Amino acid sequence: MKNKKTVAMLLAGGQGSRLGVLTSKIAKPAVPYGGKYRIIDFPLSNCTNSGIDTVGILTQYKPLELNDYVGSGKPWDLDRSNGGVHILPPYQGLSGEGWYKGTANAIYQNLEFIERYDPEYVVILSGDHIYKMDYSKMIKQHREDNAACTIAVLDVSLEEATRFGIMNTYEDGTIYEFEEKPAKPKSTLASMGIYVFSWDKLRHYLTIDEANPESSNDFGKNIIPLMLNAGEKLKVYRFNDYWKDVGTVDSLWDANLDLLNPNIDLNLADKNWKIYSRSNSEPPQYISDSSKVENSLVTDGCEIYGDVDFSILFENVTVEEGAKVEYSLVMPGAVIKKGAKVRYSIIAENVVVEENADIGGDPQIVGTDGWGITLVGANLNIGKNAKIGANKMIVEDVKEGEEI
Amino acid sequence: MRASAVSGLVFANANDKLLKKLTEKRSMASVPFGGSYRLIDFSLSNLVNAGVTNVGLITTGNYRSLMDHVSNGIYWDLDRKNGGLHILAPYMASDVKRFRGTVDALNAAMDFIDRCESDYIVLCAADVLANVNIGEAIQKHVNNNADITIIYHNGMIPANREDAMILTFDENDVVEELEFVGSSEEEQNYGIGITIIGRELLSNLVLDAVEKDLQNFNRDVLAKKIGELKVIGYEHKGFITLMNGTSTYYKAHMDLLDRNVRKELFNRERPIYTKIRDDMPTRYGIGCEVKNSLIGDGCVIDGIVKNSILSRGVKVEKGAVVENCILMQETTIKANAILDSVIADKNVVITEDMVVKGTDDRRIFINKNETV
Repeated sequence: MKNKKTVAMLLAGGQGSRLGVLTSKIAKPAVPYGGKYRIIDFPLSNCTNSGIDTVGILTQYKPLELNDYVGSGKPWDLDRSNGGVHILPPYQGLSGEGWYKGTANAIYQNLEFIERYDPEYVVILSGDHIYKMDYSKMIKQHREDNAACTIAVLDVSLEEATRFGIMNTYEDGTIYEFEEKPAKPKSTLASMGIYVFSWDKLRHYLTIDEANPESSNDFGKNIIPLMLNAGEKLKVYRFNDYWKDVGTVDSLWDANLDLLNPNIDLNLADKNWKIYSRSNSEPPQYISDSSKVENSLVTDGCEIYGDVDFSILFENVTVEEGAKVEYSLVMPGAVIKKGAKVRYSIIAENVVVEENADIGGDPQIVGTDGWGITLVGANLNIGKNAKIGANKMIVEDVKEGEEI
Repeated sequence: MRASAVSGLVFANANDKLLKKLTEKRSMASVPFGGSYRLIDFSLSNLVNAGVTNVGLITTGNYRSLMDHVSNGIYWDLDRKNGGLHILAPYMASDVKRFRGTVDALNAAMDFIDRCESDYIVLCAADVLANVNIGEAIQKHVNNNADITIIYHNGMIPANREDAMILTFDENDVVEELEFVGSSEEEQNYGIGITIIGRELLSNLVLDAVEKDLQNFNRDVLAKKIGELKVIGYEHKGFITLMNGTSTYYKAHMDLLDRNVRKELFNRERPIYTKIRDDMPTRYGIGCEVKNSLIGDGCVIDGIVKNSILSRGVKVEKGAVVENCILMQETTIKANAILDSVIADKNVVITEDMVVKGTDDRRIFINKNETV
């Protein structure tokens, strides 16, 4: 196996339980985003655009759809005979291998994979975030700093800092302490879950951590403190562009609608930093005489006869005459029938919303107390004239005329 | 039937001269169509949807854009170890100078025909815009133990198509006459340029035709074998357009604005595949107005678009008005420009406040990469 300078390891085994019914059948990185993408397209495209051509994807929770989606890695140009993309599921072995116990354990169990390429640097990524980032710049800083580990951080507000893993640093960006969700943050530099390790250091500390039965084998909780205690040089890498964790239904909705905000710089079509995705050949979208489409993203295969405003329609969505879709995401194959209304909602794949059904609530009308995005799970049928309020999660069919 | 039992041969340059402006720098097969497609997509998808996985693509010239589009056949699942897509580009051989007709073209593809080990070959002209159930036609060919099956359509023969053959059947549904009349006053059963034939039979017919210095395979070879060989027909009933001029090309686009035509042509059971381009979804701006239009991914629309077909990556800026137009890939309509009845080839730029108006019978064609 030819040596590689950098190998990326993408942690894609998380369930994303706060996304509710959206991740009941698929892993979080496979959740659809932005009309024709999935969350995992971001780290994968970033790798390709950063010149990293060897990527291990660690899967565990509901991997079927994710495996299918990644396939040979062709859409991201990662179908290589030397390197390329590799799905790394948990496996049985002679020395107690098995389910990944934590993020660090997942990498530990795949040291052999990294060994094959004997890289200088290992980049640890997660499949939970929407962002465009040039990892090669981060690696360059890591090399120039001669650090053992470099952690990408985002400067957040003091209030937000209580929800993140916070890096306390000296002025030169050297980390002296890591605090997980501190009640009284000393700094506002939040970890983005992106690490660059020098390969020998990573191997060394993963092995020590693994030998400790008390450890929960997590990068943030265990590996970073372990390295700090050992006096290793850990640095932050400051990132200032768009980055969003899409851990909850509301934040997923938010991150999608950000694509419609002219003040937010998240251009997925930027020729110098394209976000690639696996897509099918679908016919162009049709917008009829009776429809009104404004301030929205609409994808190939859609047939629009109704009104669409402030929304994102994924492939093959049908919006019939008189139907109205506002401030919503409608995922592939969903059908919104005549006269139905969908607002402030996420309609998952292949849902059928029957005639005159009414889904979701406008915060300006229902008030912001208890308001939230309504989520309708994949393949469900919402009966005629059914009424579903704001902040609901629908996990089974809704009968004709039913009110929820 | 084993996977390799049927191979396909596509004539990429079929009737190039009928779409002059569009084929100046490309073959008929790579003429853009319907927002996201090239004409070749229909032939290749029809074949692949019939389970044909070994396809030869006969090109005679102007094939750079075609190569770029079909690549190694991956978009049609034709990147195969066994079979797959074969580009049969012309090569300098002392005996073939320029193809005078389909016999020369087939003769140049003789290696492919002899090596493919299939029982049958489907010959396809790339100027056919239709979703044809070739699989069913092959089945009919086999069940009837036919020598040749011609896929035909019942309707008015398009103008300028002297190559259209009219089929007359006897009481057993076997073709008893093949005529070439150009046009006719009434509806006819005419061949649509897709023919199924035994491989060995094809090989023998071509060799014989070369020896006799014949040129046109349909007219000089097929038509002469009626009666001698068992030639049957398979009717394609749905939507079809044979390209025969810019106005037909334009009309076929407007036909796509009809939901039923789209349903037929982009049949979910037999999808039409094309090259994937990694565009973003199309972005509709605040205050834009889009009516009765077909739009590819990657467009940014801030102006008014009506009764038009926009390919991938087209930009219509604020205040611009586009009506009754076909705009191809990456065309940009700057602010307040007004366009009516225009066909703009790829990468055209219409500058600010510019007005370009054609009429119903005189549409304006703007060449590739031009700035107006």
